[in-house]
Amino acid sequence: MFLAWNEIMKNKLRFTLIIGVLMLVAYLVFFLSGLANGLASLNREAVDKWDADAIVLTEESDQSLTQSSFAADLVDGIDADETAVLGQLNAIAQTGDQKANVSIFGIDSGEFIMPEVTEGSAFTSGNEVIAGDSLKDDGFRLGDTLSLSSTEETLEIVGFTDEARFNAAPVLYTDVETFERVKFGEEAAGTDRQISGFVVRTADLAAVTDEEDLAVIETETFIESLPGYTEQSLTLNFMIYFLFVISSVIVAIFLYVLTVQKISMFGVMKAQGIPSGYLARSVIAQTAILAAIGVVVGLGLTLLTGAFLPSAVPVTFDIPTMLIYGMVLIVVAILGAVFSVLTIVKIDPLKAIGG
Amino acid sequence: MAVLEMKQVKKTFGTGHKKVDALKETNFHAEQGELIAVIGPSGSGKSTFLTIAGGLLSPTNGEVLINNANISTLNEKQLSKIRLKEIGFILQASNLVPFLTVEKQLKLLDKVKKDNMSKEQLEQLYTDLGIGDLRGKYPSDLSGGERQRVAIAKALYSNPSIILADEPTASLDSDRAYEVMELLKEETKSKKTTTIVVTHDIRLVDYCDKVYKMVDGVLELQ
Ligand SMILES: Nc1ncnc2c1ncn2[C@@H]1O[C@H](COP(=O)(O)OP(=O)(O)OP(=O)(O)O)[C@@H](O)[C@H]1O
Ligand SMILES: [Mg+2]
Repeated sequence: MFLAWNEIMKNKLRFTLIIGVLMLVAYLVFFLSGLANGLASLNREAVDKWDADAIVLTEESDQSLTQSSFAADLVDGIDADETAVLGQLNAIAQTGDQKANVSIFGIDSGEFIMPEVTEGSAFTSGNEVIAGDSLKDDGFRLGDTLSLSSTEETLEIVGFTDEARFNAAPVLYTDVETFERVKFGEEAAGTDRQISGFVVRTADLAAVTDEEDLAVIETETFIESLPGYTEQSLTLNFMIYFLFVISSVIVAIFLYVLTVQKISMFGVMKAQGIPSGYLARSVIAQTAILAAIGVVVGLGLTLLTGAFLPSAVPVTFDIPTMLIYGMVLIVVAILGAVFSVLTIVKIDPLKAIGG
Repeated sequence: MAVLEMKQVKKTFGTGHKKVDALKETNFHAEQGELIAVIGPSGSGKSTFLTIAGGLLSPTNGEVLINNANISTLNEKQLSKIRLKEIGFILQASNLVPFLTVEKQLKLLDKVKKDNMSKEQLEQLYTDLGIGDLRGKYPSDLSGGERQRVAIAKALYSNPSIILADEPTASLDSDRAYEVMELLKEETKSKKTTTIVVTHDIRLVDYCDKVYKMVDGVLELQ
């Protein structure tokens, strides 16, 4: 620490540059993690809100909620602690000039996937919906009447709820009857209720159903098979992991160059009898100090940028994830210092002092 | 009791045509409280002798004993410990750490070793060497002579039992050079250390108890 700190204080410019580079890398890592997180919630928010263990879809739908359709009375064969019916449909909603892609969820208001209303009230009669509040950013308001792309039916926004996006589209929650009318038209009324899936909470997934035509899909698997979800998160995570490698290499190069410049100085200290271990620890400590400062400044800068970003940018910062990534950055920086440590250990004091 | 002893020590650099017998077979011993000068022409093997004595260079043949312990068989880590505890080096080239102030050059030793000089002794040392006003300065802001005096302070600060000095007065004017020799002599006598000084300056040998002359790798008592 003594050597590390004194050297940093004497050569402020040099070390500020290193901190600057580490800070930029940290900034990029944090920002990408925010983006990965934001894009992920864009897709899965509404599903996470269920707090469910699994979803039951038809076997032939291939884990796609939109493609799944079956009679609601199959619920009799379902064995779970809690079960909720769900009908789902994608549509374009329009009011006046505003248009938006939406995902319509047909649900029973008494079941557990019913969202909490944050503004307005819950749907009580047909054609009323609770809308995801991200629609407000698109100019939709309480009381708006929505016309839909696929049907003559119109819907009315009676309430808003938060965290309600599914596969990048805001959700409109309504009752199953309205969902059926929107999906199948007027003539569907009176026949068996047709829904898209059952959302279940249970500890024993294997026991949920014996029905051959139904598949029980764990929530996480269901999310991963949403169109584009896995590809997106893999890409972003790959970039983040690559940045870890890059920062390790940058630190390794920087420190190595510094160390090579100081070989004769290290040699002098070794001649004096100062143990290699002490010198090595000092380099490690120095790296840790530089990386920690870089990461902390990068974190501050990221949060600051986040505060000024327009809401359209899908960035959501998850502090625990960022702390872990920050830690990882410091650790990989220290790994980068190992090279220099090996160099120090190998320095022959006699050669270094030109004796 | 011999603090430093060399038995049939020999050092050869290189092989074949390029073979140099830098130090021919040498027997040597130095007692507590002795101030010894080694003089001789350039390239005669003085630095080689001194670095072997200080455990920085291992001899081709023979044994080196410090306080009766054979250091020829020790590994680098153990040698490093001996150097830290027993030996104060004043090297031919400046041996200061560029990013530490004068004061911190000494403080560094406190980080790795106990039993260094007390505060009062340190103040006395600063005064004796005339570097008290320099303690906040970095080596790059010192003159060659000032740097040399700081290097001496650094060597003495750890209370070594052997002080090895390679041309310690080379960059000093003759008044300062005499003062430095006086100081080394005083340290040697009062702390009962053993000091070996390599020098070109024949006038400085007056301060010493014994004078050796090195010619072509052969060490002879004068
Ligand atoms: N590492 C080495 N490899 C090969 N030859 C060496 C090496 N170090 C020293 N020598 C040779 O050994 C001989 C003695 O060198 P040494 O440095 O001991 O001389 P010196 O008496 O200290 O000279 P000076 O007064 O100029 O410092 C010289 O001929 C030198 O060229
Ligand atoms: Mg020499």
